[in-house]
Amino acid sequence: MLEVKNINVFYDQVQAIHDVSFEVKSDEIVSVIGTNGAGKSTLMQTIVSLVETKSGSIIFNGEDITNLPSHDIVKRGIIYVPEGRRIFYDLTVAENLEMGAYALKTDKKRLREDLEMVHEMFPQLNDRMKQLGGTLSGGEQQMLAIARGLMGHPKLLMLDEPSLGLAPVIVEEVFDIILKIKKETNTPIVLVEQNANMAMAISDNTYVLEVGYVSFSGKSSELMYNPEVKEAYLGS
Amino acid sequence: MGLKMQKIKKIAPIIISLIIALVLPIFVKNNYYVTLLDQALVNIIAVIGLNFITGLTGQVNLGMAGIFAAGSYTSALLTTKLGVNCWLGLIASIIVGIIIGYVLGYPSLRIKGIYLTLTTIGFGEIMRLLLTNMVNITGGTQGVLGIPSLSLFGFELNTPRRMYFFLVAVVCLMAWIAIRIVKGRWGREFKAVLNDDTALASVGIDISKVKLNSFILCSVFTCVAGSFYAHLMGYIDPSDYTFDMSTRFLMMLMLGGIGSVPGSIIGGSIITILPEILRFLKEYYWLVFSVIILIIILVLPYGLVSIKDLPFVRKLFGLNKNSLGESNE
Amino acid sequence: MESFLQLLVSGIAFGCIYTLVAIEYSVIYQASGLVNFSHGQWITLGGFVFGGTMIRQFNMHYIPAMLLSLVVMGIFGALVAKGIFNPLRHLPNNLFVVLGTVMLGKIIIELCRIIWGASAFRIEGFLSDTVKIGGIVFPEVYIWIVIISVIFLVVQAILFQKTKLGKAMRCVASDQKAAALMGINVNRNIIITVAYSAIICAIIGILVAPIFNVDINMANSISLKGFAAGVVGGFGTIGGSIVGGLVIGIIENMYLMIGPAIYKDVVAFVALIIFLLMKPTGLLGKNQQKRS
Repeated sequence: MLEVKNINVFYDQVQAIHDVSFEVKSDEIVSVIGTNGAGKSTLMQTIVSLVETKSGSIIFNGEDITNLPSHDIVKRGIIYVPEGRRIFYDLTVAENLEMGAYALKTDKKRLREDLEMVHEMFPQLNDRMKQLGGTLSGGEQQMLAIARGLMGHPKLLMLDEPSLGLAPVIVEEVFDIILKIKKETNTPIVLVEQNANMAMAISDNTYVLEVGYVSFSGKSSELMYNPEVKEAYLGS
Repeated sequence: MGLKMQKIKKIAPIIISLIIALVLPIFVKNNYYVTLLDQALVNIIAVIGLNFITGLTGQVNLGMAGIFAAGSYTSALLTTKLGVNCWLGLIASIIVGIIIGYVLGYPSLRIKGIYLTLTTIGFGEIMRLLLTNMVNITGGTQGVLGIPSLSLFGFELNTPRRMYFFLVAVVCLMAWIAIRIVKGRWGREFKAVLNDDTALASVGIDISKVKLNSFILCSVFTCVAGSFYAHLMGYIDPSDYTFDMSTRFLMMLMLGGIGSVPGSIIGGSIITILPEILRFLKEYYWLVFSVIILIIILVLPYGLVSIKDLPFVRKLFGLNKNSLGESNE
Repeated sequence: MESFLQLLVSGIAFGCIYTLVAIEYSVIYQASGLVNFSHGQWITLGGFVFGGTMIRQFNMHYIPAMLLSLVVMGIFGALVAKGIFNPLRHLPNNLFVVLGTVMLGKIIIELCRIIWGASAFRIEGFLSDTVKIGGIVFPEVYIWIVIISVIFLVVQAILFQKTKLGKAMRCVASDQKAAALMGINVNRNIIITVAYSAIICAIIGILVAPIFNVDINMANSISLKGFAAGVVGGFGTIGGSIVGGLVIGIIENMYLMIGPAIYKDVVAFVALIIFLLMKPTGLLGKNQQKRS
């Protein structure tokens, strides 16, 4: 459903992504792992056109979406939950969720149903709806960011470092939610993580990114036992 | 051999512009136009000053009219009301400049960006309103009349033409000082403030001192210019020293090229003289002038001195990146 | 007491004007990070379009003249956003923004001078009455300034709180990248915001025309004092604009009870500098986190 073919990306003169290709098939979770600065976020931002693709192509459901304006890519159903959550601090939680559905031409009734769904999946947000986004805790903000993404009815959901800066208990919760999303909505998910252990545990395929290159890729269940990957990313 | 060539290439533009500056009055017969040239020279001094703050440290100062006015009024009031010698008046203006530099520089230690710009606007407005309303001291809207002209060793600089040669000498001196400062340690520190405050602190440079220095330099240069302006015109009133004047200095700086002393000279001359040249356009001349400047900002944000870096200009003159610099052997 | 109330009346009326001015540049600042130094000239242009063209030239009735002026200014704002603000937004230093908008202001004034002539004029009979209640004089224009300002604030609150467009504007103000990820067309949203700002400028221009006449310098003082209002309240925020505008309007008039009238105009700028030095975040100040 998403095919990234040989893309190259530059920041000014510096090349950040070198000839990267990767693929997401419908109903699978793909994880992208790598150290800080490996280019994981850049890759995601390139897909949604926050960063310009210099060469190569990005195909979504058979359509070339390379360098389309971001808002047009979102309208086609690729929802990116960015690194650092990027909650609208000055909007209430309810408004944040509502803005998640901005690209859809939904009526009030549909919006209410979607909000119900969110309430069920993220009970911790329920009594926070009137609060400003900026007043939430880190874990709550992450939940809100994911929930806001779901409000857009993603055809492909991309989560960028959802566990970053969260307490271990909350990290567990986040991963549970990701599995739940997968199970209930059958949405394909791209999961960018530094927490390689957990990401590989829940994903079907894994790509390993090193300074802008794909160094390893394959089934998560197999890659997990690759000695080099183990050594570099999975601890002992 | 190479070194000598380089030196010639470096000095040639200076000598050529100096020759042009010195023979110019021969061709300009009308005294009105000579006065205009004088004003251009006075403006150049102030713009060279503005370059220290806005050009090098990147802090936008829109209170120039207030500083310029302080220089003008100090000299004008001391010479007319107290009969002080013109040169003592100038020294007093310089002292006022130092004080204003501290007063305006102090806020810059705490605030930056748009807030600092607003502070300077506030300062300029307060100065203008005080000059307009403190009638007993400043003469209010009537202004100050009969400001004596400068005299140099008994030689009266009482015509625009005499003043012209004097001002050319002053501009050369000020430009030389400015270039020494820009190329020296202070200049490097100023530019470092523009690029990144925090990095500067980590290498042990006192940012507050650097910022204060840039403000003091700016305000001393501007007060000197203001003082000469008063002596040149012989009459000043508050209606000159408006927000408009502040923006005009910024225009000069940016048209020539921010951060560059030759740029300040080019910008100061063009912005002062171009409107006169465009006068044949009648009521459209300010409009055309403003449109030209806006287009230059959008197309050539680093000013006229950056024109040589444009790709098509390089092609036109067959320049490549190093032809002016290191590659001469 | 009477003089106190009298001064309070003009303080509130002018406070409302400063509030509108502060809001008008704040919305652009929030959306695009640009401070529009030509806003005073936009206000002037609004005054000329209304007084010079709609009233004098077309002899229109006040209400349609006003509405049409707002439309014209909205279009003007959109064009400026597309042609000038967009390129300025991508230049590396705010120096260019300052000078770029200053030059735009000069161009507007020159156009006004060429189109409508250099001499000031008043719009005969427009909001020129006065009402006297219990010894206090209420100029008609002050009453309308307050009424229109309150209506405006209510309409704006509905726009920002209840409509999809308004919420999208708030998203862009809060975080441009995240807004784009919601599917908001950020560039178009900024154009709309600038047009909205131009419409507010037109409202201000029309409201102050009876006070300052229609003149190329009519907005010089209020545009600079509007900056002071923003700083005193909390720069770039709507709440700060309201508080700061009223505070400046009221204290500069109350000052007349204690000091000579000639220094009235200095008060706003002294307040500006005091706040910048003591509390740059303003009365409602919170440390704003802005992400690019």
